[in-house]
Amino acid sequence: MSHRLGTFRMPSAQMRGQGLRNQRIHTHLMEMMLHLKQTIEKNLMHLTTRHLQQDLVLEEQRHSQAASEQEALLGRLMYQLVNLLQSGAMGGLGLQPSCPSLDVRRDVRGGQWAQSSRQPDWPVHQLSDLEATFVSQHLSSRGIDISALYHSSFQDYKIYQRDKYHEDKNTMGFINLGLSENKLCLDLMTERLSQSDMNYIEDALLQYPDWRGQPFLREEVARFLTYYCKVPDQLDPENVVVLNGCSSVFSTLAMVLCDPGEAFLIPAPFYGGFAFSACLYSKVELILVHLDSEVTDANPHPFQLTVDKLEQALLEARLTGKKVRGLILINPQNPLGDVYSRDSLQEYLEFAKKYHLHVIIDEIYMLSVFDEFITFHSVLSMESLPDPSRTHVIWGTSKDFGISGFRFGVLYTHNREVASAVSSFGYLHGISGIAQHKLCRLLQDREWIDKVYLPTYRSRLQIAHGYMTKKLEALGIPFLNRGSGLYIWMNLKMYLDPCTFEEELLLHRRFLDNKLILSRGRTYMCKEPGWFRITFADKPLLLKQAMHRFYQVLSEQKQDLIMKQLENAQRE
Amino acid sequence: MFALPQKESKAPTTCPGPASTQDLDSNHGDGLERECSRKPDWKLPEFCGVGDPTATASSDSSHLSSRGSIIKWFWDSAEEGYRTYHMDEYDEDKNPSGIINMGTSENKLCFDLLSRRVSPGAPLEMLPSLVQCPGWRGHCSLREEVARFLSFYCKSPAPLKPENVVVLNGCASLFSALATVLCEVGEAFLIPAPYYGAITQHVYLYGGVQLVCVYLDSEVTGLDTRPFQLTVEKLEMALQRANFEGVKVKGLILINPQNPLGDIYSPGELRDYLEFAKRHKLHVMVDEVYMLSVFEKSAGYHSVLSLEGLPDPQRTHVMWATSKDFGMSGLRFGTLYTENRDVATAVASLCRYHGLSGLVQYQMAQLLRDHDWINQVYLPENHARLKAAHTYVAGELRALGIPFLGRGAGFFIWVDLRKYLPEATFKEEMLLWRRFLDNKVLLSCGKAFQCKEPGWFRLVFSDKAHRLCLGMQRVRQVLEGKSQVPDDPASCQSQESGNQRSGGETPPAVL
Repeated sequence: MSHRLGTFRMPSAQMRGQGLRNQRIHTHLMEMMLHLKQTIEKNLMHLTTRHLQQDLVLEEQRHSQAASEQEALLGRLMYQLVNLLQSGAMGGLGLQPSCPSLDVRRDVRGGQWAQSSRQPDWPVHQLSDLEATFVSQHLSSRGIDISALYHSSFQDYKIYQRDKYHEDKNTMGFINLGLSENKLCLDLMTERLSQSDMNYIEDALLQYPDWRGQPFLREEVARFLTYYCKVPDQLDPENVVVLNGCSSVFSTLAMVLCDPGEAFLIPAPFYGGFAFSACLYSKVELILVHLDSEVTDANPHPFQLTVDKLEQALLEARLTGKKVRGLILINPQNPLGDVYSRDSLQEYLEFAKKYHLHVIIDEIYMLSVFDEFITFHSVLSMESLPDPSRTHVIWGTSKDFGISGFRFGVLYTHNREVASAVSSFGYLHGISGIAQHKLCRLLQDREWIDKVYLPTYRSRLQIAHGYMTKKLEALGIPFLNRGSGLYIWMNLKMYLDPCTFEEELLLHRRFLDNKLILSRGRTYMCKEPGWFRITFADKPLLLKQAMHRFYQVLSEQKQDLIMKQLENAQRE
Repeated sequence: MFALPQKESKAPTTCPGPASTQDLDSNHGDGLERECSRKPDWKLPEFCGVGDPTATASSDSSHLSSRGSIIKWFWDSAEEGYRTYHMDEYDEDKNPSGIINMGTSENKLCFDLLSRRVSPGAPLEMLPSLVQCPGWRGHCSLREEVARFLSFYCKSPAPLKPENVVVLNGCASLFSALATVLCEVGEAFLIPAPYYGAITQHVYLYGGVQLVCVYLDSEVTGLDTRPFQLTVEKLEMALQRANFEGVKVKGLILINPQNPLGDIYSPGELRDYLEFAKRHKLHVMVDEVYMLSVFEKSAGYHSVLSLEGLPDPQRTHVMWATSKDFGMSGLRFGTLYTENRDVATAVASLCRYHGLSGLVQYQMAQLLRDHDWINQVYLPENHARLKAAHTYVAGELRALGIPFLGRGAGFFIWVDLRKYLPEATFKEEMLLWRRFLDNKVLLSCGKAFQCKEPGWFRLVFSDKAHRLCLGMQRVRQVLEGKSQVPDDPASCQSQESGNQRSGGETPPAVL
């Protein structure tokens, strides 16, 4: 599978030379092939249908299986054909081997999510070999996978929990700059939360709620989003569903928009939680739209998302027989910190509309834009959405208000069908009435948010960001200088030799050994090894201590590199 | 991928339809059936009929996936009774002719006590740790408190361990998580029916797990001593039948005290069921969400955690929540106790999706810690109020000559209205349910609990006196065929005193 994806991906160096024109040609070509394939599929479908009508149930299953095998074979043939044609279109470069990075088994997590549709219903079995020791006679196979996935995904977090840094009590503890948590405004938040209007209890809060969220909270959310997303018309509370966190919102959307094995497109690198959520319950695959760091004509900004890239990934996926149901966008982006311009947004949405894709847009950092020269455009602020019934917005208070412990996530969708289907999960993702009251009070307090919270929050973000970027500059480390989010995306490639994901992992472990937790590019499905995300939304003292450790690790790493190069040279 | 049983006639041991959220209304499996047959790409079990494949092409107007359509069906069907109720809720002053809800199993008798007890927020110095990312299986201090609480109230022979506790946002989530980590898609749990119908939805939505009913009879036969009695023999038969039909059963769900029967299992019975499960290597999920709502002392409740030497501790998983016993269904707090570390870990792995707010966790720990208040104030008062309400409704039913089961536990009475059905069909049951709703009283009908005999209803009595009284008056009107009489709150008052005179039953004196 990884190879299948891999062969398609043009190594960036060659792509660059070709420019946009060739991309167009090969997009057209692939569209043609796609059409051809669809025609054949339709014919096959007719065949299957006839069988269904004539034969017994068992018979039917056998035939449909045969048909799907035939289909898969056909798909593969077409695939090879397109590959050949594609290489021709690209100037006779011949078939490219897959990206070297994708050859490494452990490195194909992207590939692991993107499973063949012919696999059984729960295609995560390979994940359990991440932690092969986890066996249990009592759990179902998916239960084992869930445990294993959890263990492997939250290893760092667990060691951190056991040995947290504390400025007085545990100065040798772990500093966690891997988690994107906003710790800059806990003082403001706790003060606001301890005011008397927060501690309120009435019968209705203790009784069974409206499973979509209490009406008073949904109304407030609609008002809040209307105001902060600058929506032309008042948003409708009936289009709001409130669940216990954005992960839950995404998980339920994946359940109701996709059948198992179907897929979403997502530009990579991206917040790894989506991969986790996609695979845990819903068994939805993610088709990665890989972005490049290197700036070229076709890629005027590092990691820039373009419609061409989206289109290419979509058509490639379709040719392999994938059913792509939607596109996931994160704006402001995590981990890049990019904020999409209004025009870009419009283009992405038009693209999705053209291919009947749902768009799930995660705006969880929308109030965490601290550079005053950058304007955030919520998708809800657009005068007319290209495809409103397929556009679904996620927001929560975890980042913008730094209260991830509240477990609060919001879905806004114009599509009542989707809202109803997601509401079926309300029972499983409900929030306490007491918490709903507090959240409502918090969102209501526009005065405090506008005059106290946001100005303070943003200026603190700015200062922390300034401190961190200065440190990185001094170390000569390239990074994306963006004005949003709680983190910086930086390139530590120069500390890796060779530049592989193994080395990236080793560097990550070296940080851990020095009690510093960062998150590495692999967890964001970045295709280039060497990128790390570092969170800066923490107190100055802690940042200082963290940067000290950071510097130490990199010095050690550099020493080792020099030694290694010396040894190599001597051996030669 | 989800194996949904389709034709009841072909698969008599499986439950076709869900009961709604909050079992407010009655549901029929037909809607789901329709959904399935509309979506032929949805994998149905072998015994199901094949849908119309040509429908595939025509169904792509929907924005939902196949499973999404089925999932949505749960919401839409649950809405039916619930929406009607919410559009026209009874309010003493503002809407005296609104609908009285005797369908939702909620304890509305003790809000006065609870709101005083729960309200204090967390102290300032605690807030930072509570509003930030929590430990996923529940804050340590809360899990310790839960272990202490359960050790005491379940009378466990040895202290229970905090590391065996997982905390999440309600028992619904627990059912969902357990179904997911114990079963593959299409596998099943046994459950004695009638049962709290929402479980169907809980185990199905994410887990794709089905329930195989162990149907119980109202008629007392053979060695049975009471109606709807669960026996090992019935369990064995249901299991055999499921095996025969190729349904893989992985566990058994027991609700104790039972909902909707109000039954309490004796220690002997419990042990028999657990031994049965052990013989067949079945997990047992014991839902003890009403364990402190046993208001009849003589009923003698025994938690499964009180048993010396559980037959199969690694496969015994206990659930409890504050929804019922503390009348706080809106608080969303549920807990699992299991000695099986693998199961605890696997369930905790899902807590990212079923977590509850840190602040609420703090408040829960504070509440559960206060054994003095619970023992001396809350439980005695709660039990007295429940008993008074129960006595009143039981008296009303007796006066109407209606047979019922009510065994001194839970918030409900299981009422036999079979004699009011012209024909013993679920269609007639539904019609009667609608007549109640038309007369502004919401009940739950037996179909929502997968009861196999039409004509049973669950009547919730844990509400304040005036609402209870008005509700019973409306029930009576329907049964006596006088439902056209407009509601008059004043007549309720006279009715109330009338009852006191005639039946000698006093309506509960509650706030």
